[in-house]
Amino acid sequence: MHNVLIIDDSDINLTLIKALVLKLGDCSPTLFDHPVAALEWCRSNVPDLVIVDYMMPDMDGLKFISAFRALHGRNEIPVLMITANDQKDIRYDALLGGANDFLTKPIDRIEFSARARNMLSLRTGQKYLADRAEHLSSLVEERTAEIREREKELIFRISRAAEFRDPETGAHIQRMAHYSQIIALGLDLSIAQQKLILEAAPMHDVGKIGIPDYILLKPGKLTHEEFEVMKGHARLGQELLKNSRSEVIQAGAEVAISHHEKYDGTGYPYGLKGHQIPLFGRIVAVADVFDALTSERPYKRAWSLEDACQFLEDGRGKHFDPMCVEAFLAGWEHVLDIRQRFRDEEMPQI
Amino acid sequence: MAGAFVLDKASILDRLGGDEEIFAMMVDMFVQDVDSNCAALGTALASGDAAVLRREAHTVKGLMATFSDEAGAADASVVELRARDGFVDDQAEAVAGLQQRLREIAAVLSAG
Repeated sequence: MHNVLIIDDSDINLTLIKALVLKLGDCSPTLFDHPVAALEWCRSNVPDLVIVDYMMPDMDGLKFISAFRALHGRNEIPVLMITANDQKDIRYDALLGGANDFLTKPIDRIEFSARARNMLSLRTGQKYLADRAEHLSSLVEERTAEIREREKELIFRISRAAEFRDPETGAHIQRMAHYSQIIALGLDLSIAQQKLILEAAPMHDVGKIGIPDYILLKPGKLTHEEFEVMKGHARLGQELLKNSRSEVIQAGAEVAISHHEKYDGTGYPYGLKGHQIPLFGRIVAVADVFDALTSERPYKRAWSLEDACQFLEDGRGKHFDPMCVEAFLAGWEHVLDIRQRFRDEEMPQI
Repeated sequence: MAGAFVLDKASILDRLGGDEEIFAMMVDMFVQDVDSNCAALGTALASGDAAVLRREAHTVKGLMATFSDEAGAADASVVELRARDGFVDDQAEAVAGLQQRLREIAAVLSAG
């Protein structure tokens, strides 16, 4: 059903045009004898065709068309302007001002029907294209979401591959990623950034894939030389992930290279200080260390929550960005939830 | 001054695609509105406002054209164009002529 807006200060013309519109079929006319009231109606209603007289009180047809076109989303809607035969100059102005076609007075039914039908066909085409564009857009959105999900899964599995060679567990990846998200929330980062760090944090230790087993799996303390090799996992991780077109993998590369930097500049690989360290690296440093401390490993017992918190407190401004520690502790309730949700003995959720 | 109004129903119906129903509806409305249209013309003249007189004359021109009264529409067009050029006070006679013409058309239409 096409909604046809008719504006004419003459009742007889309104009645005539309404009757002609109804004869077109599949049309619902809306009548106004005053252009200002019609314009007000147009603010909350979208007609499929506007038929407007030229000469009316307070606002002529040209001004109406101009004001109508200025409303959001009304730029393409067909407008027919009614003029007298001797108003050629007004027709030119109307064409320039946004009218699509004209009707001459006295109105002729054959001419009216042809022009109105043409305009309604145009509108039908516009609506079809808009619907099609919307459909395609939602399809693209759907497909993009599928690809993102696959990307997430692959990232998790790659991260797990590294962790399989390490005493740490899949649950560790999940916990530290969610802790990172809690810190991002506490720092008032955008929802998109919170989501990004949740997805990127699991890649922090992916470079361990390149560390020899005799070092990675050594039960005792590493020698100085072995530790130097071990420290190489940060660079290896970045090497693996860098230059990706994926925003998540780019963030993963940043996390991999920077999560062992320390706020006071004593970390590795570059010894960056304070805000020289990328924010995601500073966030992940807190999340990763807290989870490592509070997790049981074959070579160590789990620290108590109190001791781990104290470690973070003591490390403010030294190992850790004080704001990140603050944000982590501010989200303590969520931290406890995450610990419950991702226990070491349970299979990690992908 | 235009000659007597003669109803050319065939040409009007031709424009309306032969639709008697719409024709009857328009006749009813014209007859019903004739007094208010005449009054609007008089008020416009009395106001001394050229823009208002121009608009009323334009409306009347359209009404007359709708009923195929080309002579009456031409008279209304003269009033409209002169009002557009700012003339109001010297149009009393022409306005009275238009009012008379509207009533004449109404009478003819009523007589059917």
